[in-house]
Amino acid sequence: MELRGVVKILEQNYKVGDIVKAKIIVIHKMDTGFTKDKESGKQFPRFYMKEITATYNGQVVAHFDLDVATSQNPVIQFPLKVTGPGELVVDFVNSENEKAQKKVKLSPDA
Amino acid sequence: MERRTFMKGTFALATIGLLNPVLFRHGLAAEDAIEMPYKELLDEYLGGKKSEDGSTIMSLNIPDAPENGAVVPVEVTINYPMTADNYIANITVLTTKNKANKALSFDLTPANGMAYLYVNVKMGQTQDVVILAKTNKGKIFQTSKNVRVALGGCG
Repeated sequence: MELRGVVKILEQNYKVGDIVKAKIIVIHKMDTGFTKDKESGKQFPRFYMKEITATYNGQVVAHFDLDVATSQNPVIQFPLKVTGPGELVVDFVNSENEKAQKKVKLSPDA
Repeated sequence: MERRTFMKGTFALATIGLLNPVLFRHGLAAEDAIEMPYKELLDEYLGGKKSEDGSTIMSLNIPDAPENGAVVPVEVTINYPMTADNYIANITVLTTKNKANKALSFDLTPANGMAYLYVNVKMGQTQDVVILAKTNKGKIFQTSKNVRVALGGCG
C-alpha cells in the first residue's frame, strides 16, 4: 500500500525571518505488536511509521524518530525559520522500509 | 557434521525454545512486539547524567483528562534561545506506563528558530507524559504531567 501523507505550512502570510509552523500528517497504522485480532486471536505484527526527515533548501531542519507510542495516523507540528523562497521536502520511512516523499513550496511575501 | 553433534545441537536449540517461552514467542523478528520499560528508556537518554527541572522553561499544553487515550495531543514550547552555539538539540516524548513507552524523538537545529513540538500520543491507562529536552552542550531538562485516561488506547 502506498504511504499517504500531507505537509502544510500553517501560516498563510509570512516574511523572510519569520518563524512558521509546519504540519505533517501521515495516514499510517501504529501497531504495537501487543494487540490481538478479536475474532481470530492472531497478533497484529509490529508495524509503524519509523522516521520522518524534513529538508529545507538542502538542509535537514527536523528529524523525527517515531515509535509505537505515537498515536495512529501521527500528526506532528514543528517550527521553521523562513530564510527565503524554497521547498520543504519531507521523507517518510516506515518499519517495512517503504518510502514516500512530500513537498511543499515556501513563498514568503516580499 | 557428524550425526551425533547435529542431534545434540538440535536438542539444545529445542530446549532453549521450550524453557524460554518469552524468547520463543517474541523471537527476534523486527515485526514482533518489543517491550520498552520507561526506566530503561530514561536511563538510556540520561546516559548517567542528572536531569534538571525544566518546568520553568517548558510550557506544556496537554489536556488533563482526554476523552480518548488513543489520541492525546501533546504540545510543548520551550523558552530557550536558539542561537548557533546554544540551542535545544533534541526533544523526546515518553510515557510511563505503556508497554512500549517511546513516542517520539525530535532532532532540532538552530534553523528551527524556536523549540516547539506538537505530537499525538497513545496512552493505555492513566499515567504521566514525560518531556525531555537536551541542549547541544548535553544539559538535560525534564518535566512531566499526569494525564487521566478513561478509555485506554490499547497502547
